[in-house]
Amino acid sequence: MRIVIANGGKTASFIIEMFKSKENQLIVINSSRAQAQNLMKTEHISVYVGSPFRQFVLEEAGVKNADVFISLCEADTDNYASCILAKKIFGVKKCICVVNNPENVDLYRKLGIDSVISSTYLLAQTIRSESSVESLIKTLSLDNDKINVIEAVVLSKYLIANKKLMDIDFPKFASIAAIYRGFQIMIPNGQSVLKPKDTLMVVTAPENQKKVLSFIQQERPKK
Amino acid sequence: MIRNKYLVIGCGRLGSSIASEASAAGENVIIIDDDPASFDRLDDSFSGYQITADATDVSALEEAYIKTANEIVIATGNDNVNLFLAHLAFEIYQIPKIFVRFDDPRYGSLVAGMNIKAIYPFELSLNKIKAMMQQGDKGK
Repeated sequence: MRIVIANGGKTASFIIEMFKSKENQLIVINSSRAQAQNLMKTEHISVYVGSPFRQFVLEEAGVKNADVFISLCEADTDNYASCILAKKIFGVKKCICVVNNPENVDLYRKLGIDSVISSTYLLAQTIRSESSVESLIKTLSLDNDKINVIEAVVLSKYLIANKKLMDIDFPKFASIAAIYRGFQIMIPNGQSVLKPKDTLMVVTAPENQKKVLSFIQQERPKK
Repeated sequence: MIRNKYLVIGCGRLGSSIASEASAAGENVIIIDDDPASFDRLDDSFSGYQITADATDVSALEEAYIKTANEIVIATGNDNVNLFLAHLAFEIYQIPKIFVRFDDPRYGSLVAGMNIKAIYPFELSLNKIKAMMQQGDKGK
């Protein structure tokens, strides 16, 4: 993959470390000479000095038809301009940028940037999903909170324990994507039996998360 | 929804002059700038609204009635801010008349094909100077 990393100090160096390999060709651009020198020294990689929202800079750096463009400028609008330029003029396939203002996440996506990341937004999402469920359940939000993957452990006292999936009237708005049993991962079908201590990976919309959990956690009536 | 507002973003030399003239012509003008001192540039007769806010903040723009704008003039000192606002005005708020100023003429390709009118002071002065030089040659 050809990956362009524009601006950013520590974040840039972290991303470079992550993607540095034979398969990936990294193009690093930085508008600050000091930061560029720092990256060259620590990452042993060549860095183009220039602003990523200037057309001639992207031209010289050779970003045409790159696979991914990551913009890490400080100002939100600088990131917006860089990504739009990369996408419209240089035909980059996927543009990712960070923003400070969480309101810009949905907005920039509507305006054509593939992926917009705000740490405040992510933090708020995490807090919201963590606080709505019990501590033993982990959740993962995908595609900016449009879909959640929740992890739920089957206990022997639950109604669904030791039953075949086809015999369980599982809610239509959720689906069991995988089952962890010990160290094994299974993709379930109708014949699969849910055993106590199994961990279910359930895919659902965030608004249905509570309903799904209360379904899973229904207890067997005591004899 | 009646679109009757005339929005000017950026109260620099260009923005303030346009806002003053539009106000004198009877338009319902709202001007936004993040520096309150910049409003000193407006004419004394300016009768529109002045809003001190960061124009890249969408909630501030909505408070400035961007939803009911019929015309928007984008003239901040930052090309990237201007580009973002022009796209926002076109794609999200569908403002009928959009004017934007860019220092770098190459930003024009990023608003091509949209109902956005862009002006480039650099090109204007270049052409003007060229024209004046040619006239000077003829005079010889």
